[in-house]
Amino acid sequence: MVAIPLLLVLASLFFVPQIKLGVDFKGGTLATMQTSAPVDADALKAALTAKGYAVSSVKSLPNPKGYEVEVEIERDDSLTRAETLKSAFFEKIEQVSLLESDVLTTNASADAVAKYAAARQEIDKMSDELFAIALLPKNSSQITNSNELKAEVSLAYRQITDGYSSTLSSTLSSLVNYESASFNEVSASLSAKFIDKAFLVVVYSTILVSVVVFIIFRTFVPSLAVLLGAACDVIIALGAMGLFGIPLTLASFAALIMLVGFSLDTDVLLTMRVIKRKEGNPRDRAYDAMKTGMTMSMALMLAFVCLFTLASITHINTYYEISSVAIAGLLGDLVATWLLNGIIVLWYLEHGGQAGDSQKPFLSSIFSN
Amino acid sequence: MISINEIIAGAKKREVIAIFLFALIACAAMFLDKAHGVPIYVASLVAIAIAAVFIKSDSVRVAALLAIVFLSAFSIASNGVKFGIDFSGGVRIPVLLEKPVDSVTMEEMVNTIKTRAASFGLSEVKVRPIGDSEIYVEMPQSSPQLVTDVENLLSRQGVYRGIVDGQVAVKGEEIYSGTIMRIPPQYLQGADWGVSFTVTQAGAQRFAGVAKGKGNYPLYMFLDRPSDAIIILSEKQLMADAASKSRVVPLARARALQIASSALALDGDNLTLYLEENLSQDFQLKPATNRTRAIVSANSSLIPSLRAAGFVVVEKMDADMAPQYRDSPENPTSDAVVLWPAVGLMSAPRLVPSVTEGIPNFSYTINGPASGANAQAKALDAIKKERELESLLKGGALPVQISLGSKTVIPAPLGEEFLRLSLIGLLFSLVAISIMVAIRYRHLQIIVPMIFISLAELVILLAILGSFTIDLAGMAGILAAIGVGVDSQIIVTDELLKKEGEMQKRLEKAFSIITTSVTVAVVAMIPLLFFSGLVEIIGFATATVLGSLLGLFISRPAYGVIAEHLFE
Repeated sequence: MVAIPLLLVLASLFFVPQIKLGVDFKGGTLATMQTSAPVDADALKAALTAKGYAVSSVKSLPNPKGYEVEVEIERDDSLTRAETLKSAFFEKIEQVSLLESDVLTTNASADAVAKYAAARQEIDKMSDELFAIALLPKNSSQITNSNELKAEVSLAYRQITDGYSSTLSSTLSSLVNYESASFNEVSASLSAKFIDKAFLVVVYSTILVSVVVFIIFRTFVPSLAVLLGAACDVIIALGAMGLFGIPLTLASFAALIMLVGFSLDTDVLLTMRVIKRKEGNPRDRAYDAMKTGMTMSMALMLAFVCLFTLASITHINTYYEISSVAIAGLLGDLVATWLLNGIIVLWYLEHGGQAGDSQKPFLSSIFSN
Repeated sequence: MISINEIIAGAKKREVIAIFLFALIACAAMFLDKAHGVPIYVASLVAIAIAAVFIKSDSVRVAALLAIVFLSAFSIASNGVKFGIDFSGGVRIPVLLEKPVDSVTMEEMVNTIKTRAASFGLSEVKVRPIGDSEIYVEMPQSSPQLVTDVENLLSRQGVYRGIVDGQVAVKGEEIYSGTIMRIPPQYLQGADWGVSFTVTQAGAQRFAGVAKGKGNYPLYMFLDRPSDAIIILSEKQLMADAASKSRVVPLARARALQIASSALALDGDNLTLYLEENLSQDFQLKPATNRTRAIVSANSSLIPSLRAAGFVVVEKMDADMAPQYRDSPENPTSDAVVLWPAVGLMSAPRLVPSVTEGIPNFSYTINGPASGANAQAKALDAIKKERELESLLKGGALPVQISLGSKTVIPAPLGEEFLRLSLIGLLFSLVAISIMVAIRYRHLQIIVPMIFISLAELVILLAILGSFTIDLAGMAGILAAIGVGVDSQIIVTDELLKKEGEMQKRLEKAFSIITTSVTVAVVAMIPLLFFSGLVEIIGFATATVLGSLLGLFISRPAYGVIAEHLFE
């Protein structure tokens, strides 16, 4: 029986590499347009590709006010480059400004002049590259004052980003007859920040949850079983994301973290009922726990099925991603808890593990009579 | 079963009466003090919850739940439920800070953005801090022009101008921004704080020329000084500070008017000062150009006539309209306006005679006294003044580098439709779960309390989250929380339905399972909620965590009490 969850986990692991990263984590532009008539997605994709955009997906879906067209465009290389240049420039400019004033206040001492010239050369290179990307006929050698250079660089950078957005929106409006449009632009540094933060959240959550579970159960095998159940659950949900093409976005990421909590819910129920009780034999207790656990999972599932239905009517991505990840995870939880965790816990009891609630968990003493 | 007598006996208990009275008083306070409705609601909610946790009596638990539901329903009616722009329509631009900042710096940044937005006449722009490294700028409508204005405002620096006697003496672009720094205490020479800066060659020439012979004149320092504009003050605003009792030297009306007018002077671009009282008797103003702005209090009755006359009206708050005058008993010749937010006048240091001899000089310092009751308060005030001045000289630059995040635009009708459908979805999931519970347990006395508790939780969650903002992720979280809430009721019910063992013991066991799983679920969410700063999904995390906690502290104990009595 343990083979079923293990096979499922293996199969999920196979699909995990196929998970698509959403705009949040990958960077790029997600344009959402509201139209009154459906749009031919393939034709739109071809037209955009012909215009030189790296299009990752085009979707056309009905929603309450007509149709929604979603175009996802990969991050433009020159934009990423411009962003890097701008950050580097602004990191350096204050120092250059200080060196320039040194030249003035020391009556152009040779040392100050040399230092300034060296620093200036460095930022001049960055500025010239930015001017080139912005297609501005400017040259940093014509701008003697670092203050002016700063103003020009800000202007050039804005021109690059504005130019990109306005070209994209005018291209889209020439191809699609939309009523309203919104652009979700995620720059390279923003997506890098999201990835960093998400990674930290995963690490901290894992550590915290493991510590708390070990504190509560205080025995190795049951604690491990509970954590294993949760891990399998998350892997199964990830596999489903790869299989059904649910992108990894901030919303689906949040749903995955929440799944840890949900899956631990049933795992905790099972383990506490089986290990910390004495009445009946362990198998009866496990079966009893399963009845309660199934009802709980059903209730949660119903809530998320409602959200999923809502998502398929409104095509709100946040709803869609959260609900589909939760449903997949809850289905996986049924398998992971009752076929894996359950068996481990029973095996543990039948091979010498201790049953009975030796100590009351420290928290529940506060809330009980 | 629960009998009527039992309920009456419970209701007569002192603690129960106290809780209901407290809830009633809190409601009255919310109704009377609408401005503080949300804090009153949250505080009284926490107070009742604490009472319910520590007074371990059955009737108190039920009473606390009822009182909180009542309080929450009242809060929804009185404070309203705030929805994010996903549901109300509008534009949101997240401003990402390069590094996390402390709460003081955060407040400073939010205020700087607000001030700058207001000086551009964008008063409907909302600015709020999110965590320690992000700020949301939101606009209720999605006009592309407005969005561009705000983006410009955030990404461009402000314009600093130092004006002496109607002439521009210092231009922001002539200051080397890298040289603007605070002076270390040992070099302050008696002052409490100081900021030094270096200007360019052209800047030095300009200052020498303009300041020549103007010893002790004020250097009016403006950030984004309006041009081509008039300003209309009421007598009250003009004299608000001049007549204030806390002044050491009172200022006569005529003198105040004279000082205020001279602060607005600039050759070729005077801001003319008018008094509202004079204008309302005889309104004959004509704008100089079709872009002439009229800066006026938002409460002024003149606004319609100004619009009719062709002015671009810029509305300001009363507090920003009132000029603040220097209070200097020892040196009456240096009378000046020192702060006047409505026109961007941020400070007015006095020119020391030694810099007014007409000799070009590259480096300057501005210093001054700090105020405060004790040494510590004084030191804090000095730091605050230094930072303000630094930011001013840098053209309102923010203390840390910012970048604009991905902007979200939601058309209002679509948002309303999303909200309608989402609320229907909430009810639907409640109904679906109720049907499932009904099929599983088939006893009205189990089903009814369960549904009531779920409904109660929904009301409480909507009230709490709605006091702040419910966005898409928050709505999804509320939906999930309904499922989570029912889950722990199922644990209690199943435990009580078992035949063996005494009731109290079984209830205790159920609670120990719930406590454990809530603890674990909340712990799993804590990093996302507190340390990630991923604002896009914090609404979701808050809703699920709040749902779990509410269940643990308030509704589950109450449900336990009800169920226990029902099963006896």
